[in-house]
Parts: sequence; structure tokens; C-alpha cells
Amino acid sequence: MHHDNGIWVSSDDLNREESFLQSAEKEFSVENSIETNGQWEASRRDFLKILGFGIGAATLAACETPVKKAIPYVSKPDEIVPGVANYFASSIVEGGDFCAVLVKTREGRPIKIEGNSLSSVSGGGTSARAQASVLSLYDTKRIKSAGTIENGTVSEKSWSDLDNTIKAKLAAGNVRILTGTIISPSAKAAIAEFVAKYPNTQVVSYDPVSASALLDANQTMYGVRAVPHYNFAAADVIVSFGADFLGTWISPVEYAKGYAENRRISKAKGGKMSRHYQIESYMSLTGSNADNRIAVKPSEMGVAIAYLYTKVTGQAGASGLNEKAQKGLDKVAEDLRNARGKALVVSASNNLAEQMMVNKINEALGSLNTTITFGNYSNQRQGDDKAFAALVNEMNSGAVSTVIVWGANPAYDRPGTESFKAAFAKVGTRISCNGVMDETTTLCNYSAPTHHNLESWGDAEPRKGYYSLVQPTIAPLFKTRQAEHSLLEWADSAKLNRQAEQPYYEFVKANWQANMFPQQSKFNTPQAFWDISLHDGVFEVPATATVGGLGATPDVNAITKPSGSEIEIAFYETVNIGNGQYAHNPWLQEMPDPVNRTVWGNTLSIPNEWDGINRISGWKDLVDGDNVEVEINGQKYTCTVTRSFGLAPGTVAIGLGQGRTSGGCGVGYGVNLNPAIKAEGGYAQYFAAATVSGKVGEDKAYACVQHHHTMGVKAMGVEEGKQINVDEKALGWKGFQGSLTNRSIIFPGSLKEISSLTEKMTEFHHEAEHLNSQTLYPETDSWFGMGVKWEMFVDLNACIGCGACQVACVAENNVPVVGKKEVNRHHEMTWLRIDRYFYGNFENPKVVYQPMMCQHCDNAPCENVCPVAATPHSMEGLNQMAYNRCIGTRYCANNCPYKVRRFNWLDYTTADLWGANEERVFHVEGDDKPFYADNLVRMVLNPDVTVRSRGVIEKCSFCVQRIQEGKLAAKNENREVADNDVRSACQTACPTNAIVFGNANNPNSELNKRRNNSGPLAYQVLEEINVRPGVHYTAKVHNTNEALDA
Amino acid sequence: MLLKRISWVFALFMVASVALYAGPTKEAGKELFTANCASCHAKNMKDKLTGPALGGSQARWGDDKALYAWIRNSQALIASGHPRAVELWNQYKPVLMNSFTSLKDDDIASLLLYIEDVYVNGSGTTKPTTPVEGETKEESDSSMWIFGGLAILLALLAFALMRIIDHLGNVSRTAAGEAAVERSWVHTLASKGFVAFLVFASTLILGYKTVDNATQMGRSQNYEPDQPIKFSHKLHAGLNKIECQYCHDSARRSKHSSIPGTNTCMNCHSAVKKGSQHGTAELTKIFASIGFDPIAGKYVDGYENWSDAQIEDLYKKWIGQEYMSEKSLTALDEAGKDLVQNQWDGIVAALKNDSNGKIQGPIEWTRIHNLPDHAYFNHAQHVNIGQIACQKCHGPVQEMEVVYQYSSLGMGWCINCHRETEVKFGNGFYKNYKSDYIKAHKKALGKTDAEAEKVVVEDIGGLECQKCHY
Repeated sequence: MHHDNGIWVSSDDLNREESFLQSAEKEFSVENSIETNGQWEASRRDFLKILGFGIGAATLAACETPVKKAIPYVSKPDEIVPGVANYFASSIVEGGDFCAVLVKTREGRPIKIEGNSLSSVSGGGTSARAQASVLSLYDTKRIKSAGTIENGTVSEKSWSDLDNTIKAKLAAGNVRILTGTIISPSAKAAIAEFVAKYPNTQVVSYDPVSASALLDANQTMYGVRAVPHYNFAAADVIVSFGADFLGTWISPVEYAKGYAENRRISKAKGGKMSRHYQIESYMSLTGSNADNRIAVKPSEMGVAIAYLYTKVTGQAGASGLNEKAQKGLDKVAEDLRNARGKALVVSASNNLAEQMMVNKINEALGSLNTTITFGNYSNQRQGDDKAFAALVNEMNSGAVSTVIVWGANPAYDRPGTESFKAAFAKVGTRISCNGVMDETTTLCNYSAPTHHNLESWGDAEPRKGYYSLVQPTIAPLFKTRQAEHSLLEWADSAKLNRQAEQPYYEFVKANWQANMFPQQSKFNTPQAFWDISLHDGVFEVPATATVGGLGATPDVNAITKPSGSEIEIAFYETVNIGNGQYAHNPWLQEMPDPVNRTVWGNTLSIPNEWDGINRISGWKDLVDGDNVEVEINGQKYTCTVTRSFGLAPGTVAIGLGQGRTSGGCGVGYGVNLNPAIKAEGGYAQYFAAATVSGKVGEDKAYACVQHHHTMGVKAMGVEEGKQINVDEKALGWKGFQGSLTNRSIIFPGSLKEISSLTEKMTEFHHEAEHLNSQTLYPETDSWFGMGVKWEMFVDLNACIGCGACQVACVAENNVPVVGKKEVNRHHEMTWLRIDRYFYGNFENPKVVYQPMMCQHCDNAPCENVCPVAATPHSMEGLNQMAYNRCIGTRYCANNCPYKVRRFNWLDYTTADLWGANEERVFHVEGDDKPFYADNLVRMVLNPDVTVRSRGVIEKCSFCVQRIQEGKLAAKNENREVADNDVRSACQTACPTNAIVFGNANNPNSELNKRRNNSGPLAYQVLEEINVRPGVHYTAKVHNTNEALDA
Repeated sequence: MLLKRISWVFALFMVASVALYAGPTKEAGKELFTANCASCHAKNMKDKLTGPALGGSQARWGDDKALYAWIRNSQALIASGHPRAVELWNQYKPVLMNSFTSLKDDDIASLLLYIEDVYVNGSGTTKPTTPVEGETKEESDSSMWIFGGLAILLALLAFALMRIIDHLGNVSRTAAGEAAVERSWVHTLASKGFVAFLVFASTLILGYKTVDNATQMGRSQNYEPDQPIKFSHKLHAGLNKIECQYCHDSARRSKHSSIPGTNTCMNCHSAVKKGSQHGTAELTKIFASIGFDPIAGKYVDGYENWSDAQIEDLYKKWIGQEYMSEKSLTALDEAGKDLVQNQWDGIVAALKNDSNGKIQGPIEWTRIHNLPDHAYFNHAQHVNIGQIACQKCHGPVQEMEVVYQYSSLGMGWCINCHRETEVKFGNGFYKNYKSDYIKAHKKALGKTDAEAEKVVVEDIGGLECQKCHY
């Protein structure tokens, strides 16, 4: 088995599978580049036809330039300067997901989300989900008016008609409002108004992925039904039982920031960093970042918690845990005890007794009121599984006459969907306030669609005392109305000022005046307070209250018992689309899952099997893309498999949220596993016993980006019969100095051996320097020493692989969505990809994430080979790409050692759409127009960035439009350019500050400080081949507990 | 055969060398004038603008050498104490004439040719009212004849040579005892060599023409469309001397210079309710756009909900009232009724259109300056930092009754300016730019002293692709 540098990207890589070699060799999968179904077998006649048409078209086009109009404002608003962006502080809220943001608008239309650094909750970071929210604003599938619902469509009714109808229905009987978690104080006030008018109303809320047991445990033990605040930055030892706190669990942006703070290697800290243990059954994003992972089957999680409980507290636990995990947890307990007061244990378990044990462990470790605080608890999960179950019973008994569904889609995402649907049908009046025709709305009889987040007024209190405002950045695109406004209207509330231009705005403002204004003393008038809060977007009154235990003890017998089932399946929330809340967003669908790297649909992770000698094979000899049948409780689901590392033996795993049947672009991808989820003791359990068949078919369009655009991969040459470099083979040219040396892409190491890593790196830099000094090229550094020189630094120790930067890049640079079929053909267009490398033990490897974008080499191989000089270098160190000059030879992409150049095989953006191109580009299922051909979708395009047409190469530009804007700002202020003038889109999106962009010629820039701080651990990828990249990375350091791996 | 080939090659060279020779021409002079001089010197060569009228300058100087030196670097000549130079300086100081060190002797000769031509014969530029693809080049008749004659002459020569070759071939064949091949001139014309030459020549010419025309595609220099309102820049910017950026205020803040909103017009026109040229005809259009009642002197409440009939009543009343007061009438006469109706029709035509079916709302101007989507241009950079006068690109707008596109807006035109314009190093942004280093570098590259003496935009990356294309 090939394993000489100890780094691999997949099992195929380890095995040197021929298919992998071919895949890795072929940057563009050329044989598939045009579908050969007959019509594109280019003949001489076709050529002449096209030529003739081309000349004809050019002649026609030359006749007359179309007359263009320039339409000025009638009364130009003061704050708008055409061509200059405005930023408004707001918040992106979806259920419990929260991000304080600045919304970038151009001429009144939101086009980009940036983090709001004034917020202590999201701290200027964003998630991929928040970044993508601008696209869902321009979703053509949104419900466009109020009305009655028949056969899945809305027949329009005026709002006043609908209001009258609904008010008449509400007058009698029991009303239930079914929602997700609501973190808005004003929305809660609106609901309170509604309840006051209709006292037979109850509000039932649930979370798409439940945290009920955690909430109930805290209620039982501390009298607070809430998630406490976890201070990851203060924790030296972090233990997570299946909680994906960096990816999906409760408040990942906030946690990631704190987590990364304590994970950086710096001179100042002297190489001190937290240690993170993850006990889980499949590799989650969080687990992939852990220093040590302990794999347990999903049903073993309870006994694992109980085992640690016994070790830490000395109380009786439960037996049944596998021996390997026991040994591991012994070491974990030791570490935890040594870090008393600086330890933190979290768990995603949805079992009351297990969560209480976790609380007890934390109490015993002194974490309560240190790393875990309740004074400023989180509101981000409030769902109650038991209340939901009670509602289903109530509906079944016919006791409910009206249900208002708002911000929830229980017909899709509730465990045991069918029982809900049957009960829901028994309700007379079913009103949906959801914005799209999702699975639940199709079952309703009235639609009262709410605004999109970016059209709404509102507020949020993600953590107690941490308020944030939501303000609209565009006038409503359709005839929608905010759900809060609808509730107030139906309640005939006296607090709703119907005469006002924006009634709900007045309501929010009055609510802030009454409730938030008295909490501060800085401002004397409510108006001044409101103005500054709206400007800043946040208002924070941190509380420091502590809690004491109420003395409740966990019932050891109530934990989950290990099942006897041979195979168990784990269900998890995905980083990009949650449990389906974000499934209709193409940007998120096309963002690769951070760990298994597939797009558009969910795949079943199956284990790799190692024969212990030299072969790793897929379980049951399955390969990626094979379909299998999974049988859970007698129900069969057809899933596509992806072979994965890090699964516990006897475990398979699959993401939730796919297999949508209604509502938008997510329809038709993947399979919905929510019906397979069962409740235990009233709490949804995200695993089940399963049987998995052998191969029953395959997914012809299996789209996994793992083997696309690989670099520096070594392999056994099929013809040569010896080890060769795959990239080099793709070049067809051997003997160049850099290619034959061991390629330097990532440098993993452990904290304990950091000095030897430093030595190794120093030596490597020396060697590279020696090689690079043997150059024939003229010296250029003195040019770059002048003016500005743009460079980037990526701290791999802070990077968690969450993908926010990738979606931010897509949003900023008009990067097209290409669809699943095109991704399958290696045609994804992302300028920034996140490479995932494994190293270490095959059965339980460690992971390094590496954001890879154009390295802006000062001695760029791509520049030399362009026959038309479409990609020259700039004096500021940018590797420029002139689209209008490019003729599409793709020589540059071939010659790029980093494989970061993308080619527009098709007219993805419909920039110059011809009929013949139309059918192959991405269509939303059921649409006759390509995705980008709709003017509503095109409103999301950044007007400062060219929309590329077919046949040209594109790549990361270091956000040159931001560079030019920042430079101009500096010139206008008659000063040199500063760090804050230019921040790349990926940098602003990053929740952990892993990416720093700046002027290398400024010795005081953040870039230089961070880079120098890393000393010899900072390196350039493929430093030795003398291409002089402008991007530096750091060696990835894990704080591994070697005793555990031994 | 060898001889035949040699003669062909010779003939080709002859054609090529004639085609490539270009002495001073008026056409070249015109281009140079537009690019370099027109922002300060009047186009008719007779009027004084920022700089003096250029017509007859050669005669006034009487010394071509000094004149050439003056054009290249006027300050140097003044410093050297040349009497004519000093005289001009005293007359025009402190206005400096730009230096044009890159102009070759031929260029200056072309310029002077053009200047004299316009001065003597007058200029006959016509401005089309629909966008056209580039400007048709006015080939001067005389040079056409010269080239045409030469071409015919050469063709005849080539033909004669071919006949001679045939004859010589026959002579050698007869000498060798072979039968002579009799070839008529038809044979000669149909011979492989001749056909090949024709194909080659036509490919060359057509190819050149195609490329030449293709570069003009999408350009519309001199485009002067009718606008919905007869707004006169000559009146506003010229006569009334309103600062350009009073109305086009975003030019210093944004990439767009922007057409001002109606409310900007109203800053003055809520007081100035009648125009000096068109009376009520044009100004009422602004009032109708924004909903200003000129009779009451205030804005109409709820104007956006007014019906067309209400609007018609208001503004017809205003137009009629003004007409009557002008003519001192108490009631509208027939002519007055016609005038009111005509002006009202004009308002409707100007404000109602496909995208806005109402009278109320924005005025839809026809856009004159259009850049392709892949070209980025930022007004603020050029206005604030480059301190380029608007007229440099937009021409003498203050003299335009109706605005037309003055410059070609082609990439070559941009590039030329970036090659000639010196960087304003006074801005703090350039603190880290070492101008001495750049100058030394230029010198090392073999530039002349004069060229190396200044740092132009090109030298700090002003020609790089991604300064304008991203």
C-alpha cells in the first residue's frame, strides 16, 4: 500500500486504484466534456454551418448598436450613490441559526453578506448558510401572494379577504401555532398578543434536529430550560460526545470562534493549545478537527457517557462499552481531571439521563459557572419533542380546529412524518406562513407567506441579553407580509398601527422602547437608543448570574443500551443544508460536504476495510457511487454510497435534509431519512438498526469533488510500472526538479514534537531556497518592494473546513452553479476549494483542511504558456485573468501546479445564451429556463464582477474589485492603503480568522504579523518549485494524546 | 522558373514597400489632434480656448525647428529664452501647455498639415443621430489616386514580367531543341502563380479590413442622439458656468458620473420656471416628472396617484397662463391653443414610454457613453486622484447644445492616455512608490532622457489587464 509520505485523500489514493489515477490525472475529464449522444460529433458540414452562422450573426450584430437608456432617480435618496455599495447591519435568522451581519446592497438590492464584528455572539464570522441567504431571497420558487392552496399552488386572494376568512375561522375552537425555535423577542410579543385575543391558543415549537433532552436536563437540574453558554476559548480540554459544535450543533459560528482562539500556535503562547477529544460514530466536521477521536457505535454513546461519568464522578454507571473505547476514555478522564475548571464536556445525545450525566461530569470537573455559564444562556434551541408528540395526539383526537405553521416544515423534517401528516389532515383550518411551497404548506388550505429575512423587520436574542436587530434591505419583492404582522392583524391587536407605512416596524420599535431601552443608561431618549442600535445592529447587556444544582441525579438505567444489531445507521444534520431548511439553495447544495465531499444530495458513508497488510477496500466491495438498499424498520431506502474513514465498526451514516419533494431546487436529490427516525422516551433518536444490501445499481451522476483537481499525488504509473507523480504525468513532461521531490502540500505534526517539526520545516525552507536560487529568471523583487504587494496567509490550525469562505467567494465573484451532472464531470467552477487530507492511522485518521485558491505566483507557470497573454502578472503581485482576451486553450490550467483554474465548458451563467447551449446548463427540476436565465436570480450578481461566458478560464482574483475599491478609498483620504481597506470575501466570511489578506509591503500589516508569528511553520505550498506563490500556510499541528492512539 | 519566382517576390516587395510607406498625412494629424490637442485648442483652428487658435501657427513662428521643439516641450523652450516662446508664455501664463515628447517629426508634420487644412478649408465633420459603427474614414481623394495608380502600374509591371518570363522560357526551350509553348495572356492570368497571388493579396486585404472594422464594433464616437428634453449644456455649463459636478455629483464619489435626478434640477428650477430658449416647453417636462405645481410654486401632494387628465389640466393651465402673460392676452387665441397642445404632446412623448406607462416618474435619457460590460471605469479615480478635467474625455461639453460622444472610448484611446499622463505622486497613497527607481529603470531600458524624466500611469501598472477588466 502506498503510504510513503503518510498523507492521503481517499482509500482509492491509498490503493492506487487505476480509476483514481485516471481521475486525478484528468483535470477536466475531457472525454465527457461534451455529451456524445450523436449530435455533437462535429463534422465538416457542422463546422461550415456554424462558421456561416457566426459570420452572419457578426454581420447582423454590426449593423446597429442597441439604443441604451439611462434612467436617473426622480428624487435621489441621500444615502444612495449609484455605483457605491451601502452596508446595513442586520441579522440572518433561520430557526435557531443566528448570524449578526452587514448586508451589502447596491442600488437597493442585497448582494452579499458580511459578518458584523460588533456582535459578541457571531463575532464577525459567518456561516455558509448565512452567506447563501441572499440567493434564497431571489428564489423564483417563493410564494408570491396570499391565497388559498389547492393542489400545491396558491390561488391569489387579497390580504384583507384572507384576513377576514381567517379571523372567522379563528373565532371558535383550539388554535395551535406550530413553529421552529423563535429567538425574536418582538415575535414572541406578537404571539403573546395573539394568545391574548385567542386564549385557546398554544404555541408548539420544535427544532429540525432536536436538542430537547439537553433542554429538559437543564430544566431538571438547574431550573433553566435552555442551552447554557459554552466558552470554548476558556477550555483546555474539550470532550464532545457526538456534538458537531463546529458544524451544526446549536451555535457553530460562535463556538468555532472560541475554539480556534485556543488552537493557534504562536510564539506568545509558547506552543500551548487546547486538546479536543471527540467520541462519535461517524466522522463529523468537528470530529475531523479533533486531536483524538474515539469511535463508538451510535447505540454505545450512552454507555460511553456513563463510563466517563463513572470515571470522573465515581458514581455507578453502566457497562457494555467496547474495550478500546474504555481504554481511550480512561485517558480522557485523566486529562479532564488535570484540567479542572478548564474542562468542557458537551454532548448531542437526545436522552435525558445521558444529558444529566454530562451535566454531572461538568459539575464534577468544575466547569459549571466557568466554561459553562447560565447567566447568558442561549435561546437557540427551544424545541420540545414531547409537546410536539402531544400536539399530534390532540390533532388525532380532533380537538384542534386551527393550526398555523410558521417557520417549520413538520411534514418533512419530523421523525415519523407519516403520523404527523395523518393527524394534520384532521385539522379543519391549516394556515401556512412559510415562504415556499414546502411539504407542509402543500397540506395546508391557506397561505399567508411571510417575507424573506432580508425583507423583514425584526430582532433576535440568540443569547440572553445579547440583542440584535433585523432590518429590511430591499422592499418586498412579492405580495408577502411578515408572519408577525399577520398574527397581530388576526389578533386585531391595538399595538398594530395599521396606518403606519410599515406597521411591524413600529411594533418592533415600540417593543424595544418598552423592554430594551430601560436596560441601558447610555442614551436618554428612546429614539437615540433606537438609532444607534439600528446602526450597530446589536445591543448587548451581558449578565453574570450563576446557577447552583437542584440536586437531581441521572437515572443510570434510562440511558440507551447498546443494541445487538450488527449494523447501525447514524443520521446527522449536514453543515450546508441542515435538516432540509436550506435544501432549496443551489449555492449550499453545490457546496461540498466538508467531510465526504459530495454535492447535491446525501450519500451513505460506508466504512473502508483494511486487510491489515496492503489493501483498503470498500465494505462489501462497494465503490463510490454504487447504490444500495438500506432497510430500517422494514422500510427500504435506496442510497448512494461513499466510502469513508473514521466510522465506528458496524456503523454507516447518512446526512439528513435531502430527498425533498416540494418547494424548490432541492427536489429530486438524495433520499429523505426523517421517516426512519424513531423516538425513545419521547426524544427523537438519530440512529437506528439497519441492514444494508449489496450493490443494486449506481448513480451515474455521482458527484464527489474529492478526486477533482488533485495535486502532488504520487502513484504507480500504469505504463511505467513504477512510482510517478500524477501531475507530472498529466503534464507529459518529466525531469523538472520540483516534480520529483516529495511534494510539500501539507505538513502535519503534533504539539509534543513541535520542535522537531520546526526543525524539519527550517530544513525544508533551506532546501527550497537553494533550489529556487538556481533560477534563470531575472530578479523581480525590487519591483514588488514598491507600492503594494498583495498576499494571503491561511492559518491551517484555525481552519476548521466549514466552507463559509467557499460560499462567500461564490457570492462575491458571480461563480456559477453548474449542477450535479456537471460536477460529476469535474466541471465545478468554485474558485476556492477546501482540500481535505488524511494522515496517521488508516482506521482512525486525522484530517487537515486546506483552502486552496489561486496562489498568485510571482513566477507563475500559467502566465508563460498563454498564447494570447490573457493571464499576465501585475506589479501588485496579482496573477491577472483577462476574460475578454482568453481564447480557451486551457494551457494555463494544465500548467498550474495547484489546479485552481476553472474552465467554462458551458454557458453556465447564460451570459450569451444560444439555444443549443441552453439544455445542458443547470436547470431547477421542472423549469424550462436555465437557472441563471431568470432576471430575478440575476439580481444576486455582483455588478462589479464580469459575468463570464462560455469558453474562458477563470480563477481566484484575490477579490481584485475589492482591492481597487480599497485603494481608491485610501487615495481619496490621501494615505497609504491600510488593512481594513481591503479584505477578501473569504477573509470576511471566516468565523475563525483563519484567512488574512493584506499588503506584504507594509511591515505592520496583520498579514505580516500573523505570518511572522508562525516562524518557520509558515510555508508556501510547493515552495521548492520556484513559482513563488503569494499565499502562505502554516503547518497543521494537532495536540494529540499519543497514549490514546497507542 | 527560378527567375519567375524571383520576379514575383520582387514584385511583392514593391507592393508591400509602397503600402507601408506613410509620410505626414492629414488623417494621422486629425487623430493626433483629437487625442492630444483638442482638449485645449479649438477644433476650427480659429478660436481661442484654453490655448491659442492654432491656424496659421507655422507662419507666425516662421521657424519649424523651434515650433517642433515648442510642441514637444514648451517649458524648455521658454527657459531657453526663445522670443516667440516667451511672448506666448507671457500671454497665457500660468496655463502650461502639456509636453508631447513622444511625438515624432512626422507626427508633428501631420498635425500641422491637418491644422492648416482645417484653417484654410474649414472642417466638415458631420454628426450622425443614430449610433454608427465607428467613423467612416474620409480618405482624401489625392492619396486614393496615388495608391490606385501605383497599384495598377505594379500590376501591369508584374504582368509584363510574366510575359517576359514566358518568352524567355520559350527562348531557352527553343535553344534546347524543344517545342515552344505558346501562352496567351489569358493563360498567364489563369496561371497558378497569378491566382495564388490574387488569393494571397485578397486574404491580406480582407483580413486587414475585417480586423480593422471589428475593432470599431460597438463604438459610437460622435453619437448624438435626440434626448427627451432639449437640455443645453452650452447654456448651463458654458454660459451660466455651473460646475459639472454640481449635477454630476457622483463623479467624485463613484464609478458612475450619473445623470442627476429630477430633484437636482428643481434646486434651481423651482425658481427659474421658464427657459430662455424654449420657454415653458422643456422645463414643464421636469415639473411633470416630479410633480411640481409652477403656478402655486410648490410640490403636489399625492402626485403619484394623479390621473393623466389631472396632470394635463395643471400643466396646460400653466403653459397657457404663461403664454397669455407674455402676449398680454386675457384669453387663449388659436395660436396659443396650438402651442399649449403641442407643448403638452411634447411632455407626454418625453415622459411616457414602454418602461414607464405614466407621466409621473423618471426621465428616460438616451445613454451616450456606453462601455462594454467587461470594461471597468471609475470616474472618482480619474476626477479626484488623476485630476483629469471632464473635457479631456468628454470634449468641450460647455459648448455643446446637444451632447455627443467626443472620444472613441476605445481601449487604444485609454491606453494612450495612460502612457502619457504623469502620476500625481503628491497623494499619500504613493508614499511607498519609488519614482527615482522607476526613472532609473526606464533609463536602463533605453528610454530617452525626456521619457525617463517622468513617471506615467503605465509605469506603475496602469496598463495591467486587471486595472480595468475583472
